[in-house]
Amino acid sequence: MNETFRAVTRWNVAVVLAAGLAAAPVPLLGQDAVADQDSARPDPSPHSAAALIAETRSVQPGSSFTVGLQLTLEPGWHTYWRNPGDSGEAASITWRLPAGVTAGEIQWPAPQLISFPPLASYGYFDEVLLLVEISTGSQFGAGDSLRLAGRADWLVCIEDCFPAEADLELTLPVSDAPPGLDRLTAPLFEAARAEIPGADSSWSSFARFKEPWYGLKIDPPDALGSVMGSDLSDVHFFASDPNVIDHAAEQSPDWDGETLVIRLARSGFSAGVPDTVFGVLVTERDGAGAPIAAVKISAPVIVAGNPAVEAETGSGLGVALLFAFLGGLLLNLMPCVFPVLSLKVLGFVEHSQQQPGGAARQGAAFATGVLVSFWVLGALLLVLRAAGESVGWGFQLQSPLFVGAMAVLFFLLALALLGAFEIGISFTRFATDEFVKVPSRTHIARNPTARSFGSGVLATIVATPCTAPFMGAALGWALLKPPAQTMLVFTALGAGMAAPYVALSLSPGLLDRLPAPGRWMETLKQLLAFPLLATVVWLAWVFGLQTGVNGLTGLLSALLLAGLAIWVGARWGGMAAQQPGKAIARATAIAIGGVALLILVRAAGSVPEPGSAPGAESATTAWPEWSPTAAGEVLREGRPLLIDFTAAWCLSCQVNERVVLNTATVRDAFRERGVTTLRADWTRRDAAITAALAELERSSVPVYALYSGRGGDPVLLPSVLTKEIVLEALETYVPVQR
Amino acid sequence: MNRSRISFWTAVATLFVGAALYSAQEARAQSASPTIGEPAPAFTLPDTYGTEHALADYRGEWVVLEWLNYGCPYVKKHYNSQNMQGLQETYGGKGVKWLAIVSSAQGKQGYYEPAEMNEMSEQKGQNALAVLLDPTGEVGRLYNAQTTPQMVIIDPAGTLLYNGAIDDKPSSRPASLEGAHNYLAAALDEAMAGKPVSVPTTKPYGCSVKYPG
Repeated sequence: MNETFRAVTRWNVAVVLAAGLAAAPVPLLGQDAVADQDSARPDPSPHSAAALIAETRSVQPGSSFTVGLQLTLEPGWHTYWRNPGDSGEAASITWRLPAGVTAGEIQWPAPQLISFPPLASYGYFDEVLLLVEISTGSQFGAGDSLRLAGRADWLVCIEDCFPAEADLELTLPVSDAPPGLDRLTAPLFEAARAEIPGADSSWSSFARFKEPWYGLKIDPPDALGSVMGSDLSDVHFFASDPNVIDHAAEQSPDWDGETLVIRLARSGFSAGVPDTVFGVLVTERDGAGAPIAAVKISAPVIVAGNPAVEAETGSGLGVALLFAFLGGLLLNLMPCVFPVLSLKVLGFVEHSQQQPGGAARQGAAFATGVLVSFWVLGALLLVLRAAGESVGWGFQLQSPLFVGAMAVLFFLLALALLGAFEIGISFTRFATDEFVKVPSRTHIARNPTARSFGSGVLATIVATPCTAPFMGAALGWALLKPPAQTMLVFTALGAGMAAPYVALSLSPGLLDRLPAPGRWMETLKQLLAFPLLATVVWLAWVFGLQTGVNGLTGLLSALLLAGLAIWVGARWGGMAAQQPGKAIARATAIAIGGVALLILVRAAGSVPEPGSAPGAESATTAWPEWSPTAAGEVLREGRPLLIDFTAAWCLSCQVNERVVLNTATVRDAFRERGVTTLRADWTRRDAAITAALAELERSSVPVYALYSGRGGDPVLLPSVLTKEIVLEALETYVPVQR
Repeated sequence: MNRSRISFWTAVATLFVGAALYSAQEARAQSASPTIGEPAPAFTLPDTYGTEHALADYRGEWVVLEWLNYGCPYVKKHYNSQNMQGLQETYGGKGVKWLAIVSSAQGKQGYYEPAEMNEMSEQKGQNALAVLLDPTGEVGRLYNAQTTPQMVIIDPAGTLLYNGAIDDKPSSRPASLEGAHNYLAAALDEAMAGKPVSVPTTKPYGCSVKYPG
């Protein structure tokens, strides 16, 4: 059947063209002859012809049916889509219809991109059938005939353009019988319908605007996404509004995970940014570039660079580096880092007394340790992202194995601080350096520089669960930039974090002002064991959320065995122990440690029981779960929305939720203003959340995105919240509901 | 020790200065198309009599730029109806320097040799101060000229005030002139009365500018 109607079409073209050319004795490219003699235009429709055709052979009173304006163009010539692009004009029909008969809008098939750099147009070549639905009144009776008349205006162009027009009419008999299809034209209508893009709710989309670009993000249905594959040369977005995007700009469609990202440049002639970008996405084309698969897109626009967050977001590398440096500096005060670093300071105290000048070298070693760790983290992050993984800051904490290993490490550190064992087990020595009271001082003192380096590494590792103020903005910015810039930002972060210690180690004056070492240091060390143990509790909780009760039990068993191994090793395998028992004790300790490790690895591999989704428990706020669809729905309905991007392993998230978001005052304020609250839980890897964070130019949690519900503009609240901040943001951006 | 302290802070400072320079450069590279409210891009073009016109020569005057292509049906709508010439006369009388610019490449629609162009202008009753020739399209691209006609207003301080369509009826039919809202006239009236231009940019309509290539 397909071939039949193709043949019919071609035949039609030939006949119409032949007729048109015969009637118009004009050379093919005789633009001057046609266009310059306005007074006596010999051909009202140069280089093209129009016909009005119906799908059915008769009309039933009171029903509607479809007619089509068939435009046939000479080879190489084109006419335009509803949005003609940079130049040109869409076809139009001025109807003259009997009373009670109405014509609908033209239903436009997906267009083709017609490029004349630096300009571009949207249109059709060869032939196009523009469908229009006609509704009839019931004043017609069987035996009447219905006469449709109208004038079609269109523009036909090769590069130069000619206005064309045609007076058209079509008469159909009115019959009570159900209308039969016109065998000649019906296949044309069927084919035309197939080319009209439909709205499809399984394609979700939104556009993020940041001058001068729209980042159009489209999630195709799973099946289609895989069909589209990696070759996106056929993909193009056609905006319906003539003055929203720059039609000629490169769109560079690309996959970001399962999301299709299309970059649209804002039209240089548009005064503002619309609430929604409407258009048609062509996903597949034939050899001649004509669309064969297309879908309607209406993407709500989110405007970035809201003034309220402008200061935190910044724009250039300079600002990002400054924020990164400040963020690194502030990391030192975060609960995950503070205990470890206080110990580091104690180390300085001791060393400044023991060997003058050694402090500076250790400060440098510590800074190097921090910097190298940040570089390794940054490089790892880049490599993983390049490999297509959706990861962000703190990604290592999304791995239960890492969390478990951290818990064991902190547990052993705490035991050492409490004096439960006195040894120089190598990993403890590496990590804890001078703060563990070790009998064999000489042995340890042999390489204080390496140990300072080790504490730098440790400090960085324990810092990852924390996001300091300013840091989110800098990291978010960095991860959207080329690798070199990302690494610069990581460098600035490390420099910021190490700066206080370097400064301290370089200032003998400051060091002198610290109290002299003594018994108080012993007491302080023991005291600092408890924040470390608290950290273990927290890590165990995170681990439990990631792996379930069985996993958690595994971790606790691993802690137990690790403690046992250390005790055995220290009690009988230490420096002071006697041969040959020493060797046996050490072997036993290593064996027990191995079992602990095995249990830990197994536990990390387990999965929570069904029904206990992660976050169900991590929620200190009982907020519904975020999904792009859920958020899109709320926004489409114009309701205000707060999204809490959080993770169980993110300490500042937990604090914000407990102390601010989950208080009665704040909850009431949300209710009063009709704010929908959604929680995006990033405790485990989640590509959708990573993508949503990237939209906001963030790659870490917490992020609090407040949408006013009046279109666009998410406001990002600071990463350290107070009730006042939240209430003020609501006051400013969300009107009270009546 | 002192030396290491100095080198640490020098490194930090270098990092920041470099970053600041880099971002400044990046910001400059992005401003490709002319911005309303910013200085209009400078240009110098010969007219059909061989006289050079530099935008800077008109500092202190109101300037209108009109992208022109006599072969374009949309331009014809405005010339055959005398609409364009009327505007040129009205605002020329108020001291506005009206420059028509032809950015058609040689051999393309709207391109004429100077003598031929003068003949066309004579026929049409062209009232612009001068018809400037931009066959390379350089000035057209500078102003993001997409269509003929396309209109630009520059104030006496050399600031770009308007860039866009001549009116709100994107059609080549002469009948569309009736009831059209003329953006150019509205913007000029506002600006010359010392008021801000309420609609400083619109989507231009018409034929594509026939750039080379």
